[in-house]
Amino acid sequence: MSIPSSNHAYSPSMIEVFGMAIDSLRSNRLRTGLTMLGMIIGIGAVITVTSVGRGAQKSVEQQIESLGSNVLTVMAGASSRGGISQGTGSASTLTWEDAKVVAEQVTMADAVSAYLQKVNTQVVYDSKNTTTTIIGTDLNYSKVKNIYPQQGQFFTQDELDAALSVAVLGSKVRDQLFSQENAIGLDIRIQGKRYRVVGVMESKGAGGIQDQDDSVYIPLSTMSAELVGNNALSGIAITGFVLSTQATDQLDAAQFQVSNLLRLRHDIYPPQADDFNIINQVNLISTLGTIISLFTVMVTAIAGISLVVGGIGIANIMLVSVVERTREIGIRKALGATRSAILSQFLVEAVVVSAIGGGIGVVFGIGVSVGASLALSIPLVISADSIVAGLALSVGIGVLAGVIPAQSAAKLDPIVALRSE
Amino acid sequence: MIQMQRITKNYRLGELDVPVLKGIDLSIAPGEYVAIMGMSGSGKSTLMNIIGCLDRATSGNYTLNGVDLTTLDDDQLAYIRNQQIGFVFQQFNLLTRSTALENVMLPMVYGGLPLAQRRDRATEVLFKVGLGDRLLNRPSQLSGGQQQRVAIARALVNDPALILADEPTGALDQKTSQEVMGLLAELSQQGITIAIVTHEPDIAHQAQRIIYVQDGLVLNRSHNLVS
Repeated sequence: MSIPSSNHAYSPSMIEVFGMAIDSLRSNRLRTGLTMLGMIIGIGAVITVTSVGRGAQKSVEQQIESLGSNVLTVMAGASSRGGISQGTGSASTLTWEDAKVVAEQVTMADAVSAYLQKVNTQVVYDSKNTTTTIIGTDLNYSKVKNIYPQQGQFFTQDELDAALSVAVLGSKVRDQLFSQENAIGLDIRIQGKRYRVVGVMESKGAGGIQDQDDSVYIPLSTMSAELVGNNALSGIAITGFVLSTQATDQLDAAQFQVSNLLRLRHDIYPPQADDFNIINQVNLISTLGTIISLFTVMVTAIAGISLVVGGIGIANIMLVSVVERTREIGIRKALGATRSAILSQFLVEAVVVSAIGGGIGVVFGIGVSVGASLALSIPLVISADSIVAGLALSVGIGVLAGVIPAQSAAKLDPIVALRSE
Repeated sequence: MIQMQRITKNYRLGELDVPVLKGIDLSIAPGEYVAIMGMSGSGKSTLMNIIGCLDRATSGNYTLNGVDLTTLDDDQLAYIRNQQIGFVFQQFNLLTRSTALENVMLPMVYGGLPLAQRRDRATEVLFKVGLGDRLLNRPSQLSGGQQQRVAIARALVNDPALILADEPTGALDQKTSQEVMGLLAELSQQGITIAIVTHEPDIAHQAQRIIYVQDGLVLNRSHNLVS
């Protein structure tokens, strides 16, 4: 009889080992299921958390984009009466002329739109009513705020000049006042006065200083005459104006020019405080950017923890399974299994379990992500990298968690293993 | 078939070296059917483990089927167990979650036979031990006697030089014991070398020769039962 040298002792091929692993996993369904459950929850959580986190991030980004990243809002400054701040926009420090001069002289300004604002105003149609913000403005408002009518049209220059009682509804106001019928051409009442609806704005979502969808737009001249009690545009105090630039990086320059111009017009010299406030959208974005990056770090940490938990679960069950299967290992060794045959069987079992578990986890994670995006109405973002990372990590953890138990299984003395109960 | 000279085995027990086998000389001829008897603690289990290549002697020479096993490493011993020795255990030691067929196929997996050949050979051997109608039953669906016959089929399947049975009837009742012993006698008649380890004289007397082990040595009064 010839004895093969140690290096050439027969070990089952990879396919054989794979088959044995599958057989063994199938005949121990509970153990296999529990191991996989750890992986499914781990990977599923990683994908879900990453997806929800990125979805929320994208949702915030979209809202900021919809506000326009190239818009300055200039509001009349807070006046102090007896030391009590009256709130931004309540003082009559900005006039229609200020807005007009800014439009003419600030070279960085692409478009300027003056507005008057009255909050908490009741608007009535038929038997329905709602409380909303009335914005009296000019034709540039659409361009500056990048918001356009979805139905009908914005009011015209003629309607503005003639101070006609026409109104454009924000989408939310339309939904609250009108159920099925087309609102265009119907009359609503604002503080007892009739206004004809000429347009309905597209929805932009809440965000920024005010909810653009929860507003009613009327001509600045009409608002000035009816609601504030001033007939002509010239000389009227405005709540503020909005200004847009061609590009985001021109915003700081525009802010500088606007500040200087208004200080000059209002005779303000440092250290005197400005009587106006400028809200810069870019500053808002950078603040939100910081919050979002913190959020992302947190999300990643949570995902990491859930993976570690899944990995510990696998390691645990693998370790227990070696103890439970000591006798099986003894039998296999007595029948001629080499150390490497036992080692590869256990390793392949670990890899197969974690790969299948990881795969189910990916499907599960995608499913939950889709559900979450529908439930939270955030965009569905499932990135390939979280899936690849999840699968790679699950197999990696499977191998790591399998190596130590597999080694101790392979080292078992067949006599000792056979005697175990 | 088996040649053993001055085999010793010591176990370390803390600081102490406890001698279990103290110089066994033993030889078993090809085709012989022997029983190894001894009280518990006599060293017969250790001797069986060394004969079965499950354990190594501390010193001495052991030649099985012409091969000197003294210098072989673990993997080579695994190969010898796989190719030369068929084990039959008291507790059957079948894989409980696998079918009779899968259990009998297992030694051939480690022997490197292709699947189709494994299945054919395992089926053939199971028919031979009278379990042709139980191929797909798991051990829990078989009686003790049937389980031991699966184990014997598993021991036979790689055409071993030696079948080593450790208390093969220890877990069986009178009737099934006789069935299993009948099967072993049949195999002996076909020329297979068989060694059974037992403490039951009734069982031992069905072999051709009894080897008595006592206090780590083979007694000289071992006698032939057939002339």
